Amino acid sequence: MTRSTFPFRSLLGISAVLVLSISAVLAHASSPNEYDVKAAYLYNFGLFVQWPAAPEPDAAFTICVFGVDPFGKVLDRTLAGQSIGSQSTIPRRISNPQDALGCRILFVSSSEENNVKQFLSSLGKTAVLTVSDMPQFLDRGGMIQFMVVNNRVRFEVNLAAARRAGLTLSSQLVKLAVTVETSLPPEK
Amino acid sequence: MLVSAAALVLASGAFTAYTWLTFRAAMVEQLSVQARIIAFNSASALLFNDPVSAQKTLGALGASPSIVDAAIYDNGGGVFARYWRGRKSLIKAFPQISKSQTEAHWYTHGELSLARRIEPQGKPLGVVLIRCELGELTTRLEGYAAITAAVLAACLGAAVLISAGVHRSVSVPVIRLAETARLVSRDKNYSLRAAATGSRDELDFLIQSFNGMLEEIQQRDASLQKAHDELERRVEERTGLLHAANKELEAFSYSVSHDLRAPLRHISGFSKILAEENRDQLNADGRHYLARIEEGARNMGRLVDDLLSMGRISRQEVVRRPADLNLLWQEAWERLQPEFEGRKIEWRIGALPAAECDPGLIKLVFTNLLSNAVKYTRRRECAVIEAGQITVDGEDVIFVRDNGAGFDQKYAHKLFGVFQRLHREEDFEGAGVGLATVQRIIHKHGGRIWAEGKVECGAAFFFTLVPRKPSRPKPANSVSS
Repeated sequence: MTRSTFPFRSLLGISAVLVLSISAVLAHASSPNEYDVKAAYLYNFGLFVQWPAAPEPDAAFTICVFGVDPFGKVLDRTLAGQSIGSQSTIPRRISNPQDALGCRILFVSSSEENNVKQFLSSLGKTAVLTVSDMPQFLDRGGMIQFMVVNNRVRFEVNLAAARRAGLTLSSQLVKLAVTVETSLPPEK
Repeated sequence: MLVSAAALVLASGAFTAYTWLTFRAAMVEQLSVQARIIAFNSASALLFNDPVSAQKTLGALGASPSIVDAAIYDNGGGVFARYWRGRKSLIKAFPQISKSQTEAHWYTHGELSLARRIEPQGKPLGVVLIRCELGELTTRLEGYAAITAAVLAACLGAAVLISAGVHRSVSVPVIRLAETARLVSRDKNYSLRAAATGSRDELDFLIQSFNGMLEEIQQRDASLQKAHDELERRVEERTGLLHAANKELEAFSYSVSHDLRAPLRHISGFSKILAEENRDQLNADGRHYLARIEEGARNMGRLVDDLLSMGRISRQEVVRRPADLNLLWQEAWERLQPEFEGRKIEWRIGALPAAECDPGLIKLVFTNLLSNAVKYTRRRECAVIEAGQITVDGEDVIFVRDNGAGFDQKYAHKLFGVFQRLHREEDFEGAGVGLATVQRIIHKHGGRIWAEGKVECGAAFFFTLVPRKPSRPKPANSVSS
């Protein structure tokens, strides 16, 4: 467990140095939270995924949370001052599926588990990286699903789903996935 | 020799150092590339906290046998993943990289370590450290060093051989030649010869030419010496002959003069008796003839006397002692006084010097010159006779000058010959022995005598009493180039 906290702490530290005071970093570092890690990972995914050319290159890199927000202020802290490529990252909470069109990465909260399949299929081929920590997310058409293995936050990927949306996942990312799904779930 | 050895050693050193440096640089470059690959491939593992993946990435280093161990550190300095070959990794400390750099390398105990920051898109995530052993470098360097040493030894050996050869065939003969030249020039000994090298090269040609030159010089020296000796011998021989002839001539003239006196006395004696006892039996012509005979006999007697006197003077040694020339002149003047008694003569006598000379002989010189001056001014209404001393070219010259009959300067060289006369006996009596005697005396003193004159305008005689000092060397006949 001690080893696993290092990258987490360091990641937090990076953002903290840029955004907050040192004491604040230490305060957060001392109590690592599962969603702290997941927030950081959400950002990190942006580093290893290639989106089709954006219609507005200068627009912000939006990371959205759909449904009940499990991150709270953590996500804002994590993204503040960061950027991916030349685009600065901003968090956004949405409750309307139509709003997902402006997102690059979309975290689907467990609160939406009941109608997630419908929601995902409504996105169609929209170039949005869908991430969630609800069970069977990949089976329902999601691209990345968080899971906790040995007290460590890990993830699974569905390359087919990503490819359908026109996204390319870096091999550097794929090699870290616990399992790699390469086929789409059967349409029902 | 030393220079070439130094050059070789330097070149070898430079070669080895260059090899070492380039090889090290290549090692660093190779390690750097590997570190970059590891850094790139482990970035996601660090970001997503997946040491197992990082471990796999590091495991790829197994393909490089010289890499001992490697590690990935996270930003906090903890070891995130590691790799090692053989013995367990010794990596402990978090590598320090200065803030301005992304990569650093250093050497420890035959190992090269290289650390590189992992910072994709400028975000520092950690550090990768790779250590490799330099065994390969050392092995290769040893190989190079061995080859270099072998080449160096071979080159030096060759250089030694060549140098020795050059020394034997060039340096030694040149040194010997120079030594010979030095000895020849120092001792002027042209019989020396430079030793030949025995080989048929330019050096040998040079030595032979040098020897030939010496031979030539020696031969010329010898022939010059021979000619000189021959000349010397001949001069000596001739001088001897001349001396003998001179002696013989003097003896002859003395004996002739001496022997002439007896018959002369008869002629003069009997002609006198004849004149006294048979005077009456002779007519005027007879008495005239007799008078001529007496006169002739008298003249001849004087001639014989003069010759004898001259011969005596010739044999007489010059005995020099200090003498006052004024006094000698005075004595000569007094002795001749009867000859010019009653004549009108203007005497212009300057101060004469004191001199180292034979006073008797010099008095004779003055007597003769004074006698001549008196004699040849006989026809002058007012005779002027001068004597004195002048300085010509730093030499004391004594002169006697008169305003008498003089002589033609072109016959001046005849003046001092025995029996040589420039005037007729009828005009001025004399035997032609006086000036010859004067010249002999002056020559015996080592001096010179010469005369200047003009017909009917007088004559002047000049003489010196000491040999001419070696005059200052005249500027040599310059050979204008």
